[in-house]
Amino acid sequence: MTVMELEVRPRVAGATLTDRTVGSVAMSDDISLDFETLALSYMDQLYAAALRLTRNSADAEDLVQETYAKAFKAQDKFTMGTNLKAWLYRIQTNAFINTYRKKQREPKRTDADTVEDWQLAAAAEHQSSGLASAEQEALDSLGDTEVRRALSELSDDFRMAVYLSDVEGFAYKEIAEIMNTPVGTVMSRLHRGRRMLREKLREYAAERGIYERSAGDADHG
Amino acid sequence: MAKRQCEEALAKLFEYIDGELPDSDLLRIGEHLKDCPPCEAEHQINEKIRMLVSQAHGDKAPHQLRERVLSTIQAARAELQAEG
Repeated sequence: MTVMELEVRPRVAGATLTDRTVGSVAMSDDISLDFETLALSYMDQLYAAALRLTRNSADAEDLVQETYAKAFKAQDKFTMGTNLKAWLYRIQTNAFINTYRKKQREPKRTDADTVEDWQLAAAAEHQSSGLASAEQEALDSLGDTEVRRALSELSDDFRMAVYLSDVEGFAYKEIAEIMNTPVGTVMSRLHRGRRMLREKLREYAAERGIYERSAGDADHG
Repeated sequence: MAKRQCEEALAKLFEYIDGELPDSDLLRIGEHLKDCPPCEAEHQINEKIRMLVSQAHGDKAPHQLRERVLSTIQAARAELQAEG
């Protein structure tokens, strides 16, 4: 991975109406047209996020349609100049929780996980250089399919937090608003979600014989 | 390498990667990563995973969804205008 590649990753999470394309769509006097044009520009992103949430394209399409219907009806509650993308994601996340999660009859989890939890665990992560470079090599060999599978195997809350941060580049505060949780919970979900994701990627690599955990264990002494 | 510095760097690594740290922490941890290869390796691995996740998820909305959404919005607009 080069520095260039890292910098290409979109970090402009807080893209607002003012720093986006207001200039190019402000030709019309009709403010609802501006809202509509801008809202529709997020459809690919909302759909990709919906696919992660629902895990199938039919439900994802329904969810996005529901999101736009709700957003359009509630547009007078949106403050122009604030973060439209985060607002749409919040509507979609709520719609998912209210409609699809119920449908899936997933047991409600508690949020007993605390910040201290992962902070304590973090110290154990230091690994030998041999193991670290083996893991880096293994990661390089994994394809999109495996990465998607790994993310899809995380539970809703972890998957959503990781997706909103890694793919959409939302700030912790924005994810907290979208998921309607405190920032500490977002951090905890991100830590745990990413840790599980990494563990799954290691497993997939090991299954393919790319990354042998035993090789690393021998390296510890 | 001071163990406490490693602990701090590893505990705040995701915040570092996500650009969520205040400048003072950012600089201190950045300095530590430069001097500590095992911590830097952790940093690289987590950056790489983040990039893999980001790259693997660029789905485009299907054409029929776009049409469905547009007609949904048109219907909602007609409804709003009828009310207004």
